[in-house]
Amino acid sequence: MNNSITSDANAPVPGHKSEFKKKCHSAWIKTKAFFHGNPPAIIGVSLMTVILLGALFAPVLTTHNPEKRVARPHVAPNAEHVLGSTRNGRDVYSQVLHGARKSLTVALFAGIIAMTIAIAVGVTSGYLGGKIDEWMNFVTNVFLVFPQLPLLIVLAAFLGQVGSMVITVLLGVTSWPWGARVIRSQTMAIRNKEFIISAEVMGESKIRIILVEILPNLISIVFGGFLGTVIYAMGAEAGLGILGLGDATEVSWGSMLYWAQVSSSLYTGAWWEMLVPAIALALTGGALALINMSIDQVSNPKLKTGPHMKLWKKMNRETMKRRGLL
Amino acid sequence: MSFLLRRLSFYFTAFLIAISFNFMLPRMMPGDPIDALFAAAQGKMDPAQMDAVREMYGFVDGNVFEQYLSYMQSVFTLDLGPSVLMFPIDVTTVVGMSLPWTMFLALGSLIVALILGVTIGTYSSYRREGFFGQFVPPFLAFISNFPYIVTALLLFYFFGLQLELLPLAYTYDPAIDPGFTLEFIGSVAKHAVLPMGSMILVGIATWVFNMRNAMINVLGEDYVTMAEAKGLSSFRVMYRYAGRNAILPVATAIAMAIGFSFAGSIMTEVVFNYQGLGNILLKGIMARDYPLIQAILLILVSAVLTANFVADLLYVWLDPRISK
Repeated sequence: MNNSITSDANAPVPGHKSEFKKKCHSAWIKTKAFFHGNPPAIIGVSLMTVILLGALFAPVLTTHNPEKRVARPHVAPNAEHVLGSTRNGRDVYSQVLHGARKSLTVALFAGIIAMTIAIAVGVTSGYLGGKIDEWMNFVTNVFLVFPQLPLLIVLAAFLGQVGSMVITVLLGVTSWPWGARVIRSQTMAIRNKEFIISAEVMGESKIRIILVEILPNLISIVFGGFLGTVIYAMGAEAGLGILGLGDATEVSWGSMLYWAQVSSSLYTGAWWEMLVPAIALALTGGALALINMSIDQVSNPKLKTGPHMKLWKKMNRETMKRRGLL
Repeated sequence: MSFLLRRLSFYFTAFLIAISFNFMLPRMMPGDPIDALFAAAQGKMDPAQMDAVREMYGFVDGNVFEQYLSYMQSVFTLDLGPSVLMFPIDVTTVVGMSLPWTMFLALGSLIVALILGVTIGTYSSYRREGFFGQFVPPFLAFISNFPYIVTALLLFYFFGLQLELLPLAYTYDPAIDPGFTLEFIGSVAKHAVLPMGSMILVGIATWVFNMRNAMINVLGEDYVTMAEAKGLSSFRVMYRYAGRNAILPVATAIAMAIGFSFAGSIMTEVVFNYQGLGNILLKGIMARDYPLIQAILLILVSAVLTANFVADLLYVWLDPRISK
């Protein structure tokens, strides 16, 4: 019964559609503003789109099976094998597209795990304070001073060659402390703002305050931290791969680097086997970093570069003139 | 003073946690830990030696607590037993030989990246609307976020293999006797250019952006306008007025960067076959030399904790308010 009443109250009212249109329109304006005169954002987003599309449509875009021997060893790039073949006769082009799926999945999920822990720890300790905060902060700091990658390498070494699932989880649970620290300090900064206090006075539950009042204000930080973790996780996956700690039978950018290293392809002149996955990793990392930088500028417009600055200067000068200072 | 004491006790606790983790690691793994520990040592060590290592790792008769105490004792007396890989050399000796090179790479590149990054960050925020301020930060953000291993590989290929400008392996020319001679130092420097260069490239953006963000906040302050109004040179305003205050939040990031730098050093050493801990670690992994792997983790943790303490000292020097 109660349900039907609430749903009635939320039922579409006349003018709802135009409301929706307005929202779409404002979102479009915001998107345009994000890209306007911001070449890093344009480059970053378009590069990332190409990479994601390539990974998504890998089966359509490639003709060779990435795990099968389809060519002679170390064939130089030609019309049949656009990016050449590996020492084992695998097609590098189809491997790099299929590998993108694995590498990006590992990185994305590691980022999601890390940021979930970071939000839970950071917001709880920042909002609740007191003893809980002391303890959580201690744990965060301990994790923060430990060198994460060596820790990861040792864990992986003890577990033997681990699959991408295990690597994802290990990466996720070791790379949250930085995000937790930033989120904690930001939570502490907004904890005493009026809107939080009024929510407390109105008797909202702590969970609701955290989820509805605090979290939406952290979105840009959380997203920035997420992208940073994704970049780090991607690099770490590649690093573990080249050390031979990943599962070398899976096709990922890490395992491609491993096989290229094993066949010492750089020394034998088969640069494509090593450099193709390396450049794929580089472009993805760079593109994500550019997006991250642009998001930083949205949440803190003071940091902007580009034509915005010229506009700002011009407006400044006009104001000065109007005031008779110039 | 109490600040430094508090930090010291924190690092000591962290070190104890690291030891406990190391103690638990072989016990958490599937299968018999001793078998795992000695799988690679079969035939290389005689039973008496294996017993010695076992005792060193705390696998003595008695309950877990007694085992833990026994392990602690061997850690604090630096008696980590012989390495399986390089039997019969001590693990401590093996690690001791390569640790200086890793410290040299990790801390050297961190310091250079810090100085360069802070300078570029200061300048690019001060000249925000110029070409430098608009082009350099995004460019560095792009370049710097290549994974460590990729930057190292690209430099290795283009400068080492293709152009044959710089050496591709070792910390110095094996033909030269180590010593305090010009020739030796020159050789070390030449061998360090590529690994260190790749680590600086990866590390620099952190400092550029930290410094830039802090500078932009400070540049809006009245005392900066005042300094400009007094007619001080822009160099003086940039570095003595704004930069001096903007550097404080940047210094707090050093603590985290130290860990990253050591991790990067591990990766870079593998690519450049640089004879540091990373290289030994890789060999240890391939030979399943668990005592060596654990010792390396322990020594890395202590190195990072010590470096963090030095960073704390630096922070107290930069901002004396904190020690009160």
